[in-house]
Amino acid sequence: MKRKGLGFYLRIYGKILAQDLKSKMSYRADFIISTIGMIFTNIAGFVSFWILFRNFPSINGWSYHEMLFLYGFSLVSLTPVQCFFDNNWSLRMYVYSGDFIKYCFRPINLFFYYQSEVFDIKGLGQLAFGLGTLIYSWTKIGLGFTPLILLKRVVFLLTASLIMIALQNASAATCFWIQNSFYVMDLVLKFKDYARYPITIFSPVFRFIFTFIMPIAFIAYYPSLVILRPNEVPLLSWLSPLIGCLFFWISYKFWMFGAMKYSGTGS
Amino acid sequence: MSAIIQIKNVTKEFKVLNRREGLKGSLKDLFSRDYKIVRAVDNISMDIEQGEIVGYLGPNGAGKSTTIKMMTGVLEPTSGEILVGGNIPYQNRAKNAQEIGVVFGQRSQLWWALPLIESFKLLKDIYQISDSDYKSMMHLYQSLVDIEPLLHKPVRQMSLGQRTLSDILAAFLHNPKIVFLDEPTIGLDVSMKSKIRILINALNKEKNTTVILTTHDMGDVDALCRRIVIIDKGKMLYNNDIEHLKGFFGSYRTLKIRMDGDLKQQAEVIQKELPDFSVSADEEWISVLVDEEKSKVMEVLNQLQKSHEIRDMQLEEISTEDVIKKIYEEGVE
Repeated sequence: MKRKGLGFYLRIYGKILAQDLKSKMSYRADFIISTIGMIFTNIAGFVSFWILFRNFPSINGWSYHEMLFLYGFSLVSLTPVQCFFDNNWSLRMYVYSGDFIKYCFRPINLFFYYQSEVFDIKGLGQLAFGLGTLIYSWTKIGLGFTPLILLKRVVFLLTASLIMIALQNASAATCFWIQNSFYVMDLVLKFKDYARYPITIFSPVFRFIFTFIMPIAFIAYYPSLVILRPNEVPLLSWLSPLIGCLFFWISYKFWMFGAMKYSGTGS
Repeated sequence: MSAIIQIKNVTKEFKVLNRREGLKGSLKDLFSRDYKIVRAVDNISMDIEQGEIVGYLGPNGAGKSTTIKMMTGVLEPTSGEILVGGNIPYQNRAKNAQEIGVVFGQRSQLWWALPLIESFKLLKDIYQISDSDYKSMMHLYQSLVDIEPLLHKPVRQMSLGQRTLSDILAAFLHNPKIVFLDEPTIGLDVSMKSKIRILINALNKEKNTTVILTTHDMGDVDALCRRIVIIDKGKMLYNNDIEHLKGFFGSYRTLKIRMDGDLKQQAEVIQKELPDFSVSADEEWISVLVDEEKSKVMEVLNQLQKSHEIRDMQLEEISTEDVIKKIYEEGVE
């Protein structure tokens, strides 16, 4: 048996993805309707945001465009979790019905095999919307496009994505212990909306929770500080790439621990 | 040569919460730490050689699935040792997975939306099957079943029979040493069942693959298994050749006779005359299960002819199904 490295997994993922897209395209109505749905969801989110700022010109010293920046940032950083890890939402069903056992018999990483099965194409609409918002606010704030700032941008976007993925993995994996993890996942999904706002507007208690327990402040706020407020960057911002990797690793271990404990239902 | 599967004194226990009845009971259960230990598999040992087809039988809840899960590495035994192809399955799941194939009758492991051929290609990559091995396997498949119409059909659109067939082909694709088939013919029509049996037999012969088969269909057992293992309530009841099984409860034959009048009443009369044997009646026949060690079928027939007018008769050998039923119901003394 040859060693299975990153190249092996990327090749497999590429092939599954290609096949999956091919079969998705064959359901044209479903594809179009879900794309339209995604666009409207994004527009609705944006409109409520816009109404808020019609009434308050700034929140806690953050201007409209800066807030828009945070908003776009959170949308873009949510794309990977939406595209690549959407199968987490079905996990509780597979576990409950016992179908999860079918993933246990392949000679490849269980977590990879499970997540690779679904690629959610709707995430791409969100990505386009988020990028548009980000670039618009970027030019309005007048941040400029130097290679360094771009590099920072990419690194911190990846960080934010990792944290979002970690949150979802961990909340989905609770279904290995409790019957219905939907409520946990839904709770996390709702909290994630707070990621769009600067954490300083919350009370100290929530600031603590959003930083250390449910680290949604790392999805947009801490990473954005590096670009928006280069003079007042707290240490936590610089540490966030590391924290992102750490949280992802912990959530992966937690997920795998649950999966290894899984024993299926009778047949 | 040592056996491909070695199971030594394996026991698996589960901790189960003692559940109370009713709503009040469920509330109490929330805080209860009142567990009981359930022994799903109790001190089982067996060796299985390369190339055997072994029927693994037992009533529902006997511990079959638990044993299979331990052999495939999903569950860790509470005590005892399992070696599958030299690996300890639970400790080395991925390596074990490379050498086994698994089919669960009701649960397809193929990619739901993909045509079968694409699933095969993905499996080829996942199991790192060489081009030449893959080609020769596909040739073999083509010679055994009419695979062409299946290849380009998404699994989702297949009938249950086609899906099971595809799942079996997929399980053999990487030429594993052992294939576990969990109720492969469940829910299938007669002709599909026979197709699948022929396929399993052929693959076993061609590739010398060990096959572990769990089933409730004695047709599968008769068509495929040379050896069977029966467990019930976690304990092993029987582990031997299938020929051996038929003589297990002495040599039984069923004598069927037809008479005029109400068969149910007649059967009761005959039962009184033949207290040693069990007598039953259906719409057409009265059946007498004769233990030939006690008296020969012909003697019984003679005796019956003296007091009854017999219009027709049939003689049936006891079927595997009857023996297994007796084992499930009465156990082994």
